[in-house]
Amino acid sequence: MSQRHLLALFDNFDEAAAAVKELRNTSIKGFDSNKDMIMKSPIEHPEIEEVLGDKPVYVQFFTLGGALSGGLLAFFLIAGAQAVFFAQSKGGKPIVPFPPDFVLTYEMFILGGVYITILGFLICAGLPAKRSPLYSAKVSEDQIGILVKSDEGAINTLKAIFTKHQALEIQEEAGK
Amino acid sequence: MSVTTLLEGWSDWRHEHPINDQPHNPYKWAMSIDLDACTGCNACSVACYAENNLPVVGKEKYAHGQVMHWLRIERYWDEDGREFPDQGARFLPMMCQQCEAAPCETVCPVGATNHTPDGLNSQIYNRCIGSRYCSANCPFKVRYFNWYDYPTTDNVWPAEMNQQLNPDVTVRGKGVMEKCTFCVQRLREAESNAKSQGRVVRDGEVQTACQQVCLPGAITFGNLVDPESKVHKKWQAQQVELAKDVQAKDKEEGGSKLRGYRILEELRPYPSVMYLERVRDSAI
Amino acid sequence: MKDIREDIAWAKINKDVLHSLENPRKMFWVMLVVAIAMVGVGVGCEAYQYITGMGVANMDNPHVWGLYIASFIFWIGMSHSGTLLSAILHLMHADWRKPIYRFAEAMTTFSLMTAGLFVFVHLGRAWQVYYAIPYPNERGIWPNFQSPLLWDAMAIFTYLSSSILFLYVGMIPDLAICRDNMNPGWRKKLYTALALGWEGTDRQWRNFRVTYLTIACFLIPLAVSVHSIVASDFAMSQQPGWHITSFPPYFVAGALYSGCAAIITLFIILRYVFRFEEYMTLPILKKIVRLTFAISMVWTYLNMIEMASVWYGHDPVAKDTLLERMYGPYAPFWWSMIFCGSIVPLIMAFKRFQTNIPVMFVVSLLLNLGMWLERWMIVSPTFAHGYYPWTWDHDQWPSFVQWGIVFGSFGWFTLLFMGFCKLFPSVSMYEVKEMVYHRSLATKAAAGKLEAAGKGAH
Repeated sequence: MSQRHLLALFDNFDEAAAAVKELRNTSIKGFDSNKDMIMKSPIEHPEIEEVLGDKPVYVQFFTLGGALSGGLLAFFLIAGAQAVFFAQSKGGKPIVPFPPDFVLTYEMFILGGVYITILGFLICAGLPAKRSPLYSAKVSEDQIGILVKSDEGAINTLKAIFTKHQALEIQEEAGK
Repeated sequence: MSVTTLLEGWSDWRHEHPINDQPHNPYKWAMSIDLDACTGCNACSVACYAENNLPVVGKEKYAHGQVMHWLRIERYWDEDGREFPDQGARFLPMMCQQCEAAPCETVCPVGATNHTPDGLNSQIYNRCIGSRYCSANCPFKVRYFNWYDYPTTDNVWPAEMNQQLNPDVTVRGKGVMEKCTFCVQRLREAESNAKSQGRVVRDGEVQTACQQVCLPGAITFGNLVDPESKVHKKWQAQQVELAKDVQAKDKEEGGSKLRGYRILEELRPYPSVMYLERVRDSAI
Repeated sequence: MKDIREDIAWAKINKDVLHSLENPRKMFWVMLVVAIAMVGVGVGCEAYQYITGMGVANMDNPHVWGLYIASFIFWIGMSHSGTLLSAILHLMHADWRKPIYRFAEAMTTFSLMTAGLFVFVHLGRAWQVYYAIPYPNERGIWPNFQSPLLWDAMAIFTYLSSSILFLYVGMIPDLAICRDNMNPGWRKKLYTALALGWEGTDRQWRNFRVTYLTIACFLIPLAVSVHSIVASDFAMSQQPGWHITSFPPYFVAGALYSGCAAIITLFIILRYVFRFEEYMTLPILKKIVRLTFAISMVWTYLNMIEMASVWYGHDPVAKDTLLERMYGPYAPFWWSMIFCGSIVPLIMAFKRFQTNIPVMFVVSLLLNLGMWLERWMIVSPTFAHGYYPWTWDHDQWPSFVQWGIVFGSFGWFTLLFMGFCKLFPSVSMYEVKEMVYHRSLATKAAAGKLEAAGKGAH
C-alpha cells in the first residue's frame, strides 16, 4: 500500500497537543507515531516534548568537541610557531610564554565551540532541509501543523482524530 | 622542518633574555656616553644621518615633530633663576638603548622587532606594517616612523646628494618604523671578517658612526663581554650591571659618588647604554 | 503606559514587521545618499593618506596614535550591546529584550565591520596587513602571538564571525516567515535560500533552542574577553595612564554603556520610521534607559577608581599624566567627557524623562559622544605627557584627514544598518510571538482559567 501525507492545522496548542497524545496512545495499523509524525509550529513548544516522546539533542557533544579541539589546536599552533618557526627572543620573555598563549587559546576555544555548535545544529536539525510535500504558510504565522505519513487504510482514522480535536484544515497529498 | 627541529625549539622554550642562563657569547654590544665630555656639537647626529641614509625632513616637518634623527641631542636647562639661563644647558645624546628586555619587542603584531643573540634590538623593515605600537610602548621614544615617502619627496636627497647614500643600508619607504641599530651594517661586516680569520672582533676594530666622529671621545662602544674592551672596563668601573634594575651602588647610604647610570632603569628594560653624569660646576 | 498586548493577533505581528521590508519611501533614499556621501569623504581622506603617508594625519613622534585607535575602540565598544541583549538577557529570561534584540545584534555585526576598517586605516603599510594573519606561508614566518594587537585581530575575527553566525541562525525562523509571505522575485529566492528549508518542525525547534542557548553562553565570555583584549592594547604597555589593571573592566563597562546608548538611539529611530510602536513599547524603552543609567554609574565608578589608584600609587608620572588630562591641552575634551558620561545620564534617573522620546534621543547621542571622547582621552594625553621629558609640551591635534575618516565611518555604519533593516526583519517575529504567548499563559494561570486567548493566537 502506498503512503500518503496528511497535514492538519490547529490554531490552539492545547488541542494540537491532545491530538498528538491521542495519536501516540492509539495504535493505528499502518502508522507509526514515532517515525511518521512531525509537529510544526511558529514558536518553540518545549512542552510537547513530553507528549512526543524521548528525542535527544546531540548538539552539546559537538560543542564540547569543537571547543576542546579549537583550544588545543590553537595552543599547539601558537606554541609551535613561537618555538620552531619564529624562535626569536622578544622583550626578555621566554620563547613560548604562557600568558599570551593562554589568551589566544581561550579565544580559539570559544571560536571552535561556536563554529562546531553551528555545524552540529545544522546536522542535528537536518538543515538545509528538503521541503515537506505538504506545507502551509500558516504554520509560520500562527497555526500548528501536524504532518503524518501513513498507509491508505489509516487515513480515515487519522482524519477522524484530527477532526475530533478541532483541526481547522486537513490537507491531503494527492493520490499517486 | 623536521621533528628534531621541533624538539630542539621546544627545549629552548623556557630561556629568558640571554643573560640569565645563556650569557651573551661571543658578543654583547654596549655603549657608554660621558656627558661631561659631550659638548653638544651634534657631530654624532650628523654622522648618523650620513651613515644610515636618514632623510632630512625640512624645517616645517621638524617643527611638527616628524623628524628622523636616530640620535638626537637633547638640551635641558636648569631653571634655578640664575642670571644667564643658557649657562646651565646640558646635552644628552639619546638613541635606541638596545634594551635587553625591550618593551617594543613584545608588542609588534607581526614580529618586525626582535632581540638578536649579540644583544641588539633588531628592526626588520620589510616585515613592518606600521602599526606603531613599538613606538607607543618605548619609554624613551627613540623610534622614528617614516611619515612620508622620503625617497620620492623633493629636497630630501637633492641631485648628487643621493650619491652620498650608504649602499650597505636600505633606504626606507613610507610606513616603516626605524631606529638606531648601533650601525649593525658595520658590526656584521667586522664580525664576518673576524670569523673568516677564525677570531673574535677586537676592541676598537669596529666603531659606530657616532663614536667615530665624536671629537672629545664621549662615546665608547664595544663588546661588553670582552673583558679587555674599554666599554667593559667602564661599566665595571662605574659598577653598573646589565641585568639589574637597581644597581648595588645606588642602594648605599648617601648615594654613590660614581657617575655611571642608565636612564629609566626602574622600568626594567635593561638598556645597553650607560651614561656618565656630567660633573656640575656647583659640585666642585 | 501601553505595553505589548497579550491578545495581539500573530498574523498582525507578521504583517507589521514584513511591512518594514516593503519598498522604501523617499526619505530612505535621501538618507542613503547622505550616508554614501559620508563614506565618500572617508574614502577620499584615506586615499590621500594611503598615497602620501601617515604624516598627513598630523601624527608625529611621540604622538604615534590618534583618532584611528580611539574610533576603533569606540566601534568595538558599541558592538557589545547586541551581545548584552541577545546573550546575557536571554540567560536571565528577560522577555523584554525580544522585540529589540534583532536590530541590536545587527548593530553589533556592523559596528565590528566598521571597527575592522580602522585597523586598515591605522596601519602605515596597510597593503601588508595580511602579515598579521596566521597562515602557513612561503616566508615561514608567523605573526607575533605575544602582541596585544594581534590578540585584537584574533579576538575581533572570532567575535565578528560568531556574531554574524548568531545573527543568521537566530534569524532562520524569521527568514522562513519572509519566504512564505513574499511575492515571487529576487527577494523570495534570497529568503528561500537563506531559510534553509526551515519549517518549524519539532526536531528543528528542539535543536534550535539548545543551539541558541549554547552560543549565548559562549558569546558572553567572548564579548567580555574581546573588549578586555582591546583594553590590553593599553594595559599591557608600560606607559603612564595606560598601565592600569582596571582597564579591562573599565573598557567593558564603557562598551556596554555606549552600546546601550546606541540601542536607545536606534530604538527611537526604528520605532518612528517603521511604526513599531506596538512592539518597541515605552515600557521596554524605560527598561533599557534604566539599564543604561545603571551602567553609566558603573562606568563613573570605574573612572573614579582609576583616579583613586593614581592618588594612592604615589607614582609621580602617573599623577602628572592624570593632571595633564584635567588641566592640560586636552582639558576641554576631558571635562566634556566627564559631563557627557557622568552628569548627563543622571537625567535618566527621573521617571519623567525615562520615556520622553526627544529627551532620550538627545541624551543617548550625548552619551555616545562622551564615550567617543573617552576613547580619545585614553589615547592622546598619555602621548602628550609620558615618561620622557624631551617629549613633553608638544601639542598635537588630529588633521582633517583623521576627522574625515572618523566621519566617514559613521556613514559606513549607517549604510550597512539601513541595508539590513530593509532586507531583513529588524524585529524578531517569532520571539515576539513567544513573548506574547508566555505572557498570555501567565495571565491565564493567574486567572485560573484555561480558555483560548484571542483569535489566531494559541
